[in-house]
Amino acid sequence: MAFEGFPPLIADQLHYLLNHSPDSIKIENVWSGNKFNPKILDRFTLVIPYCLETIKWDVIYNSEYTMAPPDFIFGPNDEDFTPCSSITVGTDDSQISSLDKALFEWDNQDSTRLLVLIQGLRDQYVAYQRRRVGQVDDDRVKFEISTVVTRKGIEMQMTSGVDKPEEVKFAVPLVMDLSINKMVVGCPWKHQQKIYLQVVYPILRKYETAPSAPRLRLVSSSDLKALFSVEDVKLPPWIAGMCLAEYLPHLEETLERQILEAVSAIDLRRNFIEALTLFLGRPLEADATFCRKATFLASSGQFTFMVHFFLSTLFPKHQPALVLQSCQHLNQLSVPVKSNILTEYPWSPRWEMGRMAEQLCDFLTNEAVNFKKYCNEALLQH
Amino acid sequence: MDDLSLERIEISGPTLASLIQRASSSPSDVDGLIFGQIHRIISSNLSDDSPADSLASSSSSDQIVATFTSFICSGKTVSFFDPLGRVDSRRIDSLRVGSPDRLLGWFSARRKTANRPSMRELAVSSSLSSQFHLPIEDSQNPKSTNMASCVFFLLTTPSADQCIHTHEYRSYQFRSTKQRFEPRSVGIVNIGPAFRGHYGSFSPKSGFPPLLCELNSSAMSVDRDEGSLSGKKQAVKDQKEIDALAEGFQVGNLKRLVGAEAANYTGGIEQMYERMLAKIEGLVSDVEKSSARVFEQDKHNRKLRNRIARIER
Repeated sequence: MAFEGFPPLIADQLHYLLNHSPDSIKIENVWSGNKFNPKILDRFTLVIPYCLETIKWDVIYNSEYTMAPPDFIFGPNDEDFTPCSSITVGTDDSQISSLDKALFEWDNQDSTRLLVLIQGLRDQYVAYQRRRVGQVDDDRVKFEISTVVTRKGIEMQMTSGVDKPEEVKFAVPLVMDLSINKMVVGCPWKHQQKIYLQVVYPILRKYETAPSAPRLRLVSSSDLKALFSVEDVKLPPWIAGMCLAEYLPHLEETLERQILEAVSAIDLRRNFIEALTLFLGRPLEADATFCRKATFLASSGQFTFMVHFFLSTLFPKHQPALVLQSCQHLNQLSVPVKSNILTEYPWSPRWEMGRMAEQLCDFLTNEAVNFKKYCNEALLQH
Repeated sequence: MDDLSLERIEISGPTLASLIQRASSSPSDVDGLIFGQIHRIISSNLSDDSPADSLASSSSSDQIVATFTSFICSGKTVSFFDPLGRVDSRRIDSLRVGSPDRLLGWFSARRKTANRPSMRELAVSSSLSSQFHLPIEDSQNPKSTNMASCVFFLLTTPSADQCIHTHEYRSYQFRSTKQRFEPRSVGIVNIGPAFRGHYGSFSPKSGFPPLLCELNSSAMSVDRDEGSLSGKKQAVKDQKEIDALAEGFQVGNLKRLVGAEAANYTGGIEQMYERMLAKIEGLVSDVEKSSARVFEQDKHNRKLRNRIARIER
């Protein structure tokens, strides 16, 4: 995103915020409130992740008075969110003073200040939502809060709409002790990878007697997909009358085991790619960190083509998907002709790596003939 | 002091128009102070006006209505409070420059933003209403109670440029017990038969400058004024200005306007008026010149500010 339109000092603060925030904050919209110089941007909308969803805050600077700290307009449903401590009476915490300090001792030359402000506000927002959820008149929710109160990093949210039933959402960070980033050699991730359990409690209506089971969903940071897909995790069943404090230990145990497996699966994939080199030569390109992708150059007589291998996180249980791409045939749009995704070929996860590679290359030898025919036909069509 | 609820906030058409004009002509966001009065209105069902006036007469209980009569715009943001929203009463005093009007609340005008109060606006209203109060004027019950300066007027422009819909305004009352804003309807009061009901309770007070032009003829009055030397000096100065305008035409001479002398005298009066007109014209050109200089200075200030902000143009 380009920040050229912002006054330089504001642009610095914005850069620092986006590059150093522990949450992946995004900017959605930038615009100007200046009458004479509408090219000078001074206001923007921040999209801040919260409780596995996002909240949007408008940040309002004044391009005529860039020395002053920005003002904030929060979401339309958060009109009771009043983070300035001159109005939050009777709350303690060091967070408040850090937020106040950041505002009061505002220094527009210091590019870190906007981040401090946003973090202070976000901390206040967590406390605010927790207060709201605590006020919900529902025995189960009250009980759940009391049992998970010692767990760190839980975010809560109250959702209600005109046509939606009231719900309380929890985002519970899981396996916090496991630093996934450190387990991956040559880790490319900027942010710490995290897995959350989203728990949605429907609020009991007056005529209902027993609370229904909460809706559960595992959510991970998006980069984690390269290593481990939370969608492949089978959640243990929620037994009637259970509470979160009972449910979590078992789930965390399972997850921990699966993550360790996923990390060791990187080596299996690496071994497989290495085994392929015996038959296909050095790869043209390969994903060295997660070993999810590799491309080799292959030939069948005069016909030269590339083979793309896509390895799933469940390799070797799931066999690799292949795509062949001709080096000699271009279609009408001058794009190299590619095959469909090939997944049907002899495979057994119980084979040794060498055997897997050998079998695959046998299949490729046969498939190359078909693919050549396919390419020639594609050329003839136009 | 009770946290009473306002029924509505009334503003005269010209005041609203000038507020919008001030907001739209300023280069960026601005804020400022709002002055006015608060009345307790006991509405009766008796009405000799047109039946269209039923709105005011339908309710029987008493209502508290705030009337927004004038404002002072600071020309910038964060003018009379700090970044945390804490109001500084000294800065309010320097902004209102001795205006005798009562502080009703404040306004914020921001361009291309959502039309709901911001974080700082809430903090400012909270701080302002805890520090400033004004009496509720009540004709039935002169022993008046006070009310906080709790009115907040928000002017915004829509986020996308539009040709027709260019401004939005909303008014709020800050409730100190709940620590939150409550939206209030804005009644625009204009002059005319349809608005006669609105003036029933309103005591017009114009902000005429306090000219102390008492004639210093008796020794008693000199004694009385001894306390403030500057006040006396001001009074003398004001008197001189007025005398200069009516040069040679003392009140005593007015009796010559009637009777036999009158025919000759009218010429003299006309002359005096001409001189006064010439003086006013001179004043107008002075004002124009000084406004131009204010504008130049403003431009220069903006340039300096932009240099500090490292904005190149």
